[in-house]
Amino acid sequence: MAQFSDNIDNLEHWQTNRRQVIKAAILTGTLSQLSFLQACTANQLTEEGNDLLDANQVGILKSVMEILFPNDGNGPGIDDLHAFEYIMWVLHDTGSYEKYRNLAIEGITWADEQTQKNQQKNYLELSQAEREQAVAHFNETDYGTEWLSIILTYILEALLLDPIYGGNPDGIGWKWLNHTPGYPQATEELRYENILKTVRAAYPKTES
Amino acid sequence: MKYDVCIIGSGAGAGPVIYELAQAGFNVLVLEKGPWFKTEHFTKDDMVATRRAIYTPAFKDEFHVLETKDADGNWKAVPTHESRTDFWNGSAVGGSSNFMSAYFHRLKPNDFRLLSEYGNIQDGNMVDWPITYNDLEPYYTKVEHVVGVSGAVVPHKHLEPRSTPDYPFPPLVTNRISDWFTAAGAKKGYNVIPAARGIISLPKGDRNACYLSNYCGSFGCSSDGKSSSRAALINDALKTGNVEIRPDSKVFHLETNEKNEIIKAWYYDLAGLKNSVEATLFVVAAQAVETSRLLLMSKNPSSPNGLANNAGNVGKNLIFSAVATGSGFIHFDDFPAEKIAEINNPMTFVNRTLVDFYEIDDSQSGKKIKGGIIDFLIEHSNPMPKAVKNKKDGDRLVYGSEFKTKLHTYFTTRKKVRFEAFTDWIPNDNCYVTLDPEQKDKWGDPVARIRLGYHESNKIPGEFLAGISKEILTEMGARDVSGAVSTGPTVNLQAGGCRFGNDPKTTVLTKDCRAHEVPNLYVTDGSFMPTGGSVPYTFTIYANAFRVAEKIIDQLKSKL
Repeated sequence: MAQFSDNIDNLEHWQTNRRQVIKAAILTGTLSQLSFLQACTANQLTEEGNDLLDANQVGILKSVMEILFPNDGNGPGIDDLHAFEYIMWVLHDTGSYEKYRNLAIEGITWADEQTQKNQQKNYLELSQAEREQAVAHFNETDYGTEWLSIILTYILEALLLDPIYGGNPDGIGWKWLNHTPGYPQATEELRYENILKTVRAAYPKTES
Repeated sequence: MKYDVCIIGSGAGAGPVIYELAQAGFNVLVLEKGPWFKTEHFTKDDMVATRRAIYTPAFKDEFHVLETKDADGNWKAVPTHESRTDFWNGSAVGGSSNFMSAYFHRLKPNDFRLLSEYGNIQDGNMVDWPITYNDLEPYYTKVEHVVGVSGAVVPHKHLEPRSTPDYPFPPLVTNRISDWFTAAGAKKGYNVIPAARGIISLPKGDRNACYLSNYCGSFGCSSDGKSSSRAALINDALKTGNVEIRPDSKVFHLETNEKNEIIKAWYYDLAGLKNSVEATLFVVAAQAVETSRLLLMSKNPSSPNGLANNAGNVGKNLIFSAVATGSGFIHFDDFPAEKIAEINNPMTFVNRTLVDFYEIDDSQSGKKIKGGIIDFLIEHSNPMPKAVKNKKDGDRLVYGSEFKTKLHTYFTTRKKVRFEAFTDWIPNDNCYVTLDPEQKDKWGDPVARIRLGYHESNKIPGEFLAGISKEILTEMGARDVSGAVSTGPTVNLQAGGCRFGNDPKTTVLTKDCRAHEVPNLYVTDGSFMPTGGSVPYTFTIYANAFRVAEKIIDQLKSKL
């Protein structure tokens, strides 16, 4: 028991430090996909929560994503696309539209409240069939549709943006849709967070 | 240091002036608000180009206030950071020409005398230009050769007079669906012909030919095949040693002396610090909206209402292109496999146009009225916009296996064929730029407030051309053919606000695009255009800037 408690304490301490690192990176604008993924292992993201979402919220988000874009044998599912990791990066990315980022997170809590109100159960206590019914119900409200639409757009980004952003590994989304990407493709130096820094570093020296 | 010329902006309206003045030996300073992307910085990254829109300012930093009519007919003003309606086109050295699709049509002779040819329209401000097509023709030719235009001249009833028989660059390779458009047009009795592009099909100097990346509009070009101001003109101008480019330099004030001559341009640098430069002549080419905004912001003792605005004309008669757009789908299972094999490939260039109806007989009025052109194309390659459109079925969000099937079907079993018809945007008293009294940009300066008055008569030729276009798409065998007039502005095709003309009471600029009121100020972007013609503007902006560059050189030489 004591050993377990120690582990929990250590884990919490480790997570606290990790959250501080991530938050500092966000504040300084240095959190690229690479450093984000280095800072957060997939296990931490999916099971234990992170600095933005607790474990319950992570579970709800993953479940809703799987309903929006199921692994149904027709092309890749969200795990194939690394879509959850991609969305967690977007939610940390201050360059993405803040209103949508906030709505994406707030909608998770709203979804849990909806099932508590309508089914008297937390979302994660619902069976798979009940979860699918709940999502269909969410989509009958303006707020729910907007929330689901934002999550689905993030999934599409994980499906179709350059793999350098963390989704679409090995172009799996492009291959599924018979899409030929343009050339040259994105590079680490020219990915969106870095491109202006790279461009300005190349300016000729001029007298002013 | 005092420069011969300070040029504000570096897009299609500035490039020819930079190029010509540098070649003539004058020292030129370019103040460009945006960063300086080089060719090697452009990739086909949808995140950079469209999702995060790195080539345009962030809404929180710079935005506009747009006035549109609500359902009750009242004008309602909404900042673009609220509506998320981006009114920028490309903030970079070379301006939005870096990201253009580059459909290059010349104006026709009648475009220079719309009032004389077709009469005024009630509540419209139609006028004739102070120059003729013949005055501009040599400069269209110059653009074709110096900037680079590819295509093939074919005879048709509205072919404008040309001093050269053909374009200097042969047509670009196209998707074979081009032939389908031509054949369908012929069956309906319409003459669908090749469309010229501001994209070179052969190498030119340091520029490589178009490499058919299929990611063209909205993306920078990695071969310099696209004839942007940066690739086609500025890079060569820099080789003279007479040009200095200062990127990230946002001009906010033009200071004048007691003679109403500009003596300094004031700008913010990247750090937000205020700087000033001196020059003999100043050229503003910041794209129509921002050019009017800068002049209106430049209040001086001799111009209390803004520079060149003592007669109150700056910002008035802003114009866009009036457009009708539509589409249909070629379903692969409607055609033999060998036919589909011709078109089911990544090639996105179509380069076909219909000019038969540049002038049309209006059945309602019984008169000839101005028509326009139709460009035919297929959907852009970048996949995100296509995928996002598939999320909705009407107002319903589609998701789950239904959505995946819809998405896969859309991408793999059909090709979207499209048309864009361009007609004149009738200038009117409800389309103009002012300074917003409350909203400020990141530097604390008033943003442009744009009233977007649309003249209902724009719809007449638009609906006619949409009907022709739908006939052709249907004849091709497309399904779900639809199309309609759009009453919104074409953000990427903007002009007017500083009309040129002979009367200083009603125009801002002389016919040489020098300000009537300010002897050392020229405006060389699309602001000068009193009417726009029924074609995209970029080719004409380039040509006019070459024309005006000669006038600027003459004025500079007279001062030496």
